[in-house]
Amino acid sequence: MRKVDVVLTEIIRNRLVAATEEMAKTMIRTAFNPLLYEVQDFSVTIMSATGDMWAETPGVIVFSQAFPEAVRAGMARWKGNFAEGDVLIVNDPFETGTHISDTNVYMPVFFEGELVAFCGTAAHWADVGGKNPGGWCPDTTDTFQEGLCFRHQKIVERGVKNQGLWDLIDCNVRVPEIVKGDLEAQIASCRQGCERIQSLCAKYGTETIREAMDYVIDQTDRSMRATIAALPDGEYGTSIRLDSDGVQEDGEFLVCLKVTIQGDRVHFSLNGSSPTARGPINLPAPCTKGILASSLKGILLPFDPCNAGHTKCLDFELPPESIVNPVWPAPTDSYGYVIECLMEMMFRCFLNIVPDKCPAGGYQLTGAFFSRSQSRHGKPFVMMDPMHGGNGALIDRDGATNQLTGNGDLPNTPIEITETRHPFRVELFEFAPEVAGVGKFRGGMGVRKDYRCLTDGVYASFVIENTADTTAAGFNGGTDGDHGSLTVTPVGGEPIVYNERVGSIGPFGEGTLFRVITGGGGAWGEAIERDPELVLSDVRNAFITPEDARRLYGVAIEQNGGTWSIDLQKTRELRAAA
Amino acid sequence: MTQDRYRVAVDVGGTFMDFVLMDEATGAARVEKIPSIPDRLHEQFLNGIESLDVDIDSIQQIFHGMTVGVNALVQEKGAKVGLLTTKGFRDVLEMGRGGRKPVYNFLHQAAAPLVERYLRLEIPERMTFDGEVLTPIDLEAVDTQVDLLLARGAEAIAICFLHAYAQPAHEIAARQRILARHPHLPISMSHEIASEWREYERTSTTVLNAFIQPTVQTYLTNLETKLKYTNYTRALAIMQSSGGVVDAKTAGQKPIRTLMSGPAGGVIGAKFLCDRLGYANVICTDVGGTTYDVAIIEEGRVLERSQAEIAQRPILGSLIDVISIGAGGGSIAWLDHRGGLQVGPQSAGASPGPVCFGRGGTEPTVTDAHLTLGRLDPAYFLGGRMQLDTDGARAAIEKKIAEPLGLDLQLAAQGIVSIAETNMANAIRSKTVERGLDPREFVLLAYGGGGGLFACSVAEELEVPKVIVPNAPANFSAWGILTTDYMEDEVRTKVMPFDAAHIAGALVTMNDLETRAASGIGQYGFADGDIERVKRFDLRFENQEYTITIDLEDAWQDAASILEGARKRFVESHIRLYGHGEPDAPLELVSIRCRAIGRVRAPEIAPMPERPQGAAMRQLDVYFPRTGKAVPTDVFDRETLAAGQVVTGPAIINEWTMTTIVPPGWQSTCDTFGNLVLEPTL
Repeated sequence: MRKVDVVLTEIIRNRLVAATEEMAKTMIRTAFNPLLYEVQDFSVTIMSATGDMWAETPGVIVFSQAFPEAVRAGMARWKGNFAEGDVLIVNDPFETGTHISDTNVYMPVFFEGELVAFCGTAAHWADVGGKNPGGWCPDTTDTFQEGLCFRHQKIVERGVKNQGLWDLIDCNVRVPEIVKGDLEAQIASCRQGCERIQSLCAKYGTETIREAMDYVIDQTDRSMRATIAALPDGEYGTSIRLDSDGVQEDGEFLVCLKVTIQGDRVHFSLNGSSPTARGPINLPAPCTKGILASSLKGILLPFDPCNAGHTKCLDFELPPESIVNPVWPAPTDSYGYVIECLMEMMFRCFLNIVPDKCPAGGYQLTGAFFSRSQSRHGKPFVMMDPMHGGNGALIDRDGATNQLTGNGDLPNTPIEITETRHPFRVELFEFAPEVAGVGKFRGGMGVRKDYRCLTDGVYASFVIENTADTTAAGFNGGTDGDHGSLTVTPVGGEPIVYNERVGSIGPFGEGTLFRVITGGGGAWGEAIERDPELVLSDVRNAFITPEDARRLYGVAIEQNGGTWSIDLQKTRELRAAA
Repeated sequence: MTQDRYRVAVDVGGTFMDFVLMDEATGAARVEKIPSIPDRLHEQFLNGIESLDVDIDSIQQIFHGMTVGVNALVQEKGAKVGLLTTKGFRDVLEMGRGGRKPVYNFLHQAAAPLVERYLRLEIPERMTFDGEVLTPIDLEAVDTQVDLLLARGAEAIAICFLHAYAQPAHEIAARQRILARHPHLPISMSHEIASEWREYERTSTTVLNAFIQPTVQTYLTNLETKLKYTNYTRALAIMQSSGGVVDAKTAGQKPIRTLMSGPAGGVIGAKFLCDRLGYANVICTDVGGTTYDVAIIEEGRVLERSQAEIAQRPILGSLIDVISIGAGGGSIAWLDHRGGLQVGPQSAGASPGPVCFGRGGTEPTVTDAHLTLGRLDPAYFLGGRMQLDTDGARAAIEKKIAEPLGLDLQLAAQGIVSIAETNMANAIRSKTVERGLDPREFVLLAYGGGGGLFACSVAEELEVPKVIVPNAPANFSAWGILTTDYMEDEVRTKVMPFDAAHIAGALVTMNDLETRAASGIGQYGFADGDIERVKRFDLRFENQEYTITIDLEDAWQDAASILEGARKRFVESHIRLYGHGEPDAPLELVSIRCRAIGRVRAPEIAPMPERPQGAAMRQLDVYFPRTGKAVPTDVFDRETLAAGQVVTGPAIINEWTMTTIVPPGWQSTCDTFGNLVLEPTL
């Protein structure tokens, strides 16, 4: 190998990262689906001609981590038979790693006739057919029920649209205009990336770019190893039991993780995890590996632009035909529960190793889905509202609410946009402090949101966390966060409370009230050690009552008119007695 | 004949206040710089005016770029704000939108809400998204909640009700009710501050306005009073983020609009200068010690955007689209955990500054690298006012960068400069690409104290064919303020299909906005016929979210031609930006915008005096990547260059506050106004 030009190497690396940022901008600005332009449930990735990740801009981190594996599957399928101007599409969950709604669109990049790279976008489609609108179906039993499946078809071949495929999409999804608009956005984003890579090749030569990125990946790998070598060797294990697979509740749905740090490598074993579930909570292998790898990268090197070097020193042991390694055509549509569990389990293990780099346990992904596919009562629509909730406390502060730490991080949807676009009125949107774990630093609070339905014929699905074995575990004496719930109150009817996830209930009519409460985060440390000033602030801001302050934290707060103060003497007594 | 002879710009920065005095008749400008002392700004303001040494009666108007508002915000020293929201929604401000940018950072911390929860109280009232009253406002609740806020120490009130952009009646009613009982309480209403949808962003903007308003208003009122004592009673025009000016009264009520005015002066100056020179497409680059600011002029229009962020807090409102990255002379070179060479965003700032300043800096910076490469003249830096420590700079680069990377000193120094330059080029690329623009069709204008050092290399990287370095580049922003016009923006979000059935309603709204914007400008003494209107629609394809802003042409007289013309223009823009666009797909109109402009008489640009061509002052050995070694390089004094004089690279052109590098393969031509025009010769 030639001596590497270290300066040019950095320049090439920066330009590739910048290229993914430009691709992401194009996605956001052209997508038709709020899940993409508002919530940013997508990611973009640039890979080498052999499928090594060179750069990414994640919305959802696990998408890019799993992308190289999907591209390699496509290379094997086509035996390298790609041409300039081809655009491929794949959403087979066993190749992309997530669920069938997340569609990968990628493009081989050619320069002077030679395949030099791939660029791709993974995006959550508004609908992909299947038994439930919008995807994330909680009760499928095989992939066929989940929607239209692509496996590396050329949606564009040598620059020409494969009209048959587009027509096929047209007659298989519930909102074809939105889906095709998003697909156009994904292609535009790939073309953008392609141009950037080609101009880099023209300027520096393909060989130089390959060498530079090989060098960057090698450097990154060495740096990961050095970081890991500095951690003490040891084994750390944990497990989470899920309450249901969406189809049956009597089985056992266990996810086990053992992290072994040995020298400069990390070994992940998921042995002991349950066999493939009948319902759709299974997580395909690319994503199982992807979420562990991206969690580790985030814990150890959070600000480093991601590349293939971050995952070279990792080994995985996944039990075959299991909940974390299912095979076609096992159902996977609500794959996110296991992802969230794995991430929380990573934090639990690493809290013992690097407590200043991990949060305590957080709430699990929660979201409300409303839809109507028939036009009898009005225009069909699909509305998805992933919601924030309580994240785990940190070593030096309370847990956050306005984040969705687990699977990437997504912004919420403004109420004014929800109401303009969909037949719903939001009547309440506030913190739900009662679900937060209690401790020296409290867990993040949940969110309470009331949706009033303004039309008829509406079906609802709720992604609500697993309640058998909380993810929101407290640390070091802090209590666990409480779980969330859904309450449906039909007009003139009694409220029905759901503590577990439900799929496609309805139809509901005008006036129905849906209340979603998201779960709270786990706390850090003993409540009795909480700074009384923080307790005072929580009382002043009506997150807790003075009675809570006394009972939970041993702090006496007095109210004088409109203001509050700490009674230090009483607080000392309370805390001494505790 | 002294009457109305001059206009003056006062631009306050972090370290200095810049004063520019321009002779209306000739365009000749004079520059003063005095230290900016935070608690004595008024005094320094008057001292600066006095130091210009002209009769106060001869000053026709004073233009002012201020930082009072942004400082109050950054230091979080503002009023204690009480917020009134729609019942059920007081937590919107604290909830935010979420979505952390560094997605892998599990320790990320969002900005704390500027108004704590106990100061956010709710009012029973509700509008629907289309502006119908669902729940009438409970005005007695306004009384009790405001009393409670005042008892809890609130000094200013912000009101943000849901869908107030569609129907502001409840905000107005609440305000009237409050003023009836508390006539002097400062109140900011969301529909006035930012009449656009997205409740969090609008609340944030309104709260920020309320937070800084008392401070800014007091500052401006006192300034006007003090100016009156000096017998100056004419216009005091305040620079806005959008690049226009407003009067002090408006700025005192809506200071949020002035928050990002810092980089605006330079961009407006760039537009003015480039209009005169005949360049329609310009990349404006302002290089300071710490940041590199990029803005774009396309086809003679300064590109704007409608949202900014300060300290993670969003602000809605028209502003010049400036991207700012941490790259400048003071940017520090360092090796990351991989051993990869990085430059910035950390900066050594002015203190301790680069190693070569000899003020205790130990980390090698871009300026140290330039010095090591021979591009800065150690004896003549800042016109010889500062001695540079070349040995110190070289030693720091050797030890911290060259040795660990196994590079020789000059390659390491060139590496630092190259990485800073590609970061700059990436910033420009990001700005042009997201608009679908090709940098090769632009000229690059370089100003700020470091502009000339990087301009040609950055241009080469982007294949920009021409670079312009204006006169007095370090004071260019202040000069730019002198060329601004009065500007009032009105906007309303009103989502509707863009079709024949709805266009009439949209045009009624447009008329209303036009009346309001024009009457705003009319207050400054402009006759109605002298007020220009720029009318714009934010359009998108149905189901899309992000919009493209389309200028309406005066030639489109009736509704049908507006529908047709705007559609055509929208689809063309969409195809250019994103590569696709169905000509007949349904469109939605999202926001209606009107800008009224009162044109200030354009100043002249002074031609440079005739003089013989200057010779090189001396030679330095300078390293260039293209030569691969240090080569003897002529150094010119810019003050001695004559109109039409060509300087062929490699060369260095020095002036008081800036160094311009003419690399090998480039040449510089001095135009008749004294601007340096640099072009590649290869």
